Amino acid sequence: MSEAELPHAAGSALDASLLVIDDDGEIRDLLARFFEREGFRVTTAKDAREGRRLWSQGEFNLIVLDLMLPAESGTDFARWLRGQSAVPIVMLTAMGEETDRIAGLELGADDYLAKPFNPRELLARVRAVLRRTGEHGPTHATTTIEFADWTIDTIRRRLIGADGVEVPLTGGEFELLSIFVERANRVLTRDMLLELLRGRQAGPYDRAIDVAISRLRRKLEDEGRNAQLIKTVRGGGYVLAAEVKRR
Amino acid sequence: MRLRAWPDSLAARTALVLLSGLAVVQAAGLVIHALDHADLQRNVQLHDIAQRAMGTYRNLAVQPAAERPRIVADLPPTVDQSTEIVPSPPEDALPPAPITLQRQLAGEMQMVPVPAVLRPRDTVVLGSTDGPVLVIGLRFPDGPWLRQRYELAPLRPWNSASFIIAFVLMTAAAAVMTVWAVRRLTSPVAVLAAAADRLGRDVNAPALPERGPSEVVTAAAAFNTMASRIRRFVHDRTLMLTAIGHDLRTPITRMRLRSEFIDDEALRTRMLADLDELEAMVSATLAFGRDAAAAETSSRIDIAELLRTILDETADAKPAAAGQLSMDGPEHLAVRARPLSLKRALTNLIGNAVNYGQAAHVHLSAPLPAAAGDEIRITIEDDGPGIPSEQIEQMFQPFQRMEESRSRETGGVGLGLPIARNILRAHGGDVVLENRETGGLRARVTLPV
Repeated sequence: MSEAELPHAAGSALDASLLVIDDDGEIRDLLARFFEREGFRVTTAKDAREGRRLWSQGEFNLIVLDLMLPAESGTDFARWLRGQSAVPIVMLTAMGEETDRIAGLELGADDYLAKPFNPRELLARVRAVLRRTGEHGPTHATTTIEFADWTIDTIRRRLIGADGVEVPLTGGEFELLSIFVERANRVLTRDMLLELLRGRQAGPYDRAIDVAISRLRRKLEDEGRNAQLIKTVRGGGYVLAAEVKRR
Repeated sequence: MRLRAWPDSLAARTALVLLSGLAVVQAAGLVIHALDHADLQRNVQLHDIAQRAMGTYRNLAVQPAAERPRIVADLPPTVDQSTEIVPSPPEDALPPAPITLQRQLAGEMQMVPVPAVLRPRDTVVLGSTDGPVLVIGLRFPDGPWLRQRYELAPLRPWNSASFIIAFVLMTAAAAVMTVWAVRRLTSPVAVLAAAADRLGRDVNAPALPERGPSEVVTAAAAFNTMASRIRRFVHDRTLMLTAIGHDLRTPITRMRLRSEFIDDEALRTRMLADLDELEAMVSATLAFGRDAAAAETSSRIDIAELLRTILDETADAKPAAAGQLSMDGPEHLAVRARPLSLKRALTNLIGNAVNYGQAAHVHLSAPLPAAAGDEIRITIEDDGPGIPSEQIEQMFQPFQRMEESRSRETGGVGLGLPIARNILRAHGGDVVLENRETGGLRARVTLPV
């Protein structure tokens, strides 16, 4: 992969620097310890003002941003930050507050987690975002991805058919589909798929890839012996054969 | 269907009372009219008889006595009258006429001009106004009597067709207006009932319009005040629940992070499991407290795939139960719904079936295209012990759980069913539980198209 050529592309944690902004002191400290243990360099800020100051002083590969901040909200900070830079942002949001989350993602955050989050999942998301931006450059501007007759709403994590009807996906299926559309027309072996899915999901991805693929094919109406969209490659692998458009 | 004497609806009762009154008034009017009409007819009849009797008498009185029998014989025959000359006052089986009738007839007969010398020397009237026969005896100045017998035509008080038509039209118009007015006056009651019903489903239902008669305005205003009190109460409770939920998130997050630094693997796993449970409770409480359904926008979603996805997720989370999950119904079925809310509702129901019934057999049936207003029906059946029927409705109360599940590890908070019902009702549908004939529990979900 071509991570080294891009400025903010830190695929491995060792050279990645995080800015964590959260108003709760203990969470701040615990997050710093947790990420440092995983090999990140971590700087923490207690509010948007301090975040701004630190941002201007240092070089960060990714911002972990709590949306609920005193005085100036996280959304305002994210808006300001987007005006400055395309640095990836992972938001921590109030649990289930759909409107907050969508607003944050529409402002250009790259991923989100609801509080109380699972720290390992946060780690996986941070790594996935770093890897994604490393491979493709900043992806936050993308809100819809189109391929074949399908549209993916990346903010609401939805797959929508040509007739405008949403086809529900499980979390795993959505991740799998995202991996395919990010690497359209590239052959992905089972091992690669497993590895990429691990990077996105907390815990081991137990279910056999073949089962997940067959479910996804069914939902994409790509069933039968000669599937056209997610093709089986002789020798063990799959490829998404479609032109992908991003908006 | 049998028509009951005392109907159920207020409008029908009021209309019935008013229409009965109308019928009585109309009947009385009819009787008065008939009596009046009969009286008039009788007077006309008597006037006619008096004129004829006096006319015949005069024509005979001017003739010599010997000529009279021949003239009587030559009189043109009539239907109701017979005339003869008799030597003595007429005596019939008839009683003498009442004095009022005698006076009336005498008065009428005096109106007929007769020379004073020819006036009857004596007058006898037999019979009565009720008929059927009236005999009038008039004595000539020279001695013999003229006996005239009249048959009284029966009275016909109903002989006027235009009166009957007018009467029927008037009664019908009054009846129609009565029914219309009663409907109009009682309609606010129906509006109030509908508003109360709406409030039961949705506390944010729009207020009643406060207009119309003053009593209706008062009732509507009282209802609106009550609705706003209930709304404030629900709002306060929701705020409290959400506040607790929000406040719990920070400590749970801290504990999650802290547990990452526990070296004892077994201890950490147990702690994380506790935290997961705690989080599940908080998120259920928040989902119940928050008006999630209202905040989310509707879009079209394939409900058949949604159910399959939930079953797939259940199978992923509980591989042991995978063999007990099944689904039948159409391949695709698009509905307009709030996707996340609907998914939460159906996930709760399927989760209950798997957790407490060890199985989830889902059946989806599409509405019949022919039947307007038909609904989408989903049944979720399990193989568990079911619920005693008297406890079934209670299961939809918040924080209500089957006693044995409180001690179980899969206990939950007791919000799954209330949340599912809230969401489905906000979609215009509903969910009910029932025991299956073959054992196990069945959740029946309906959703409008």
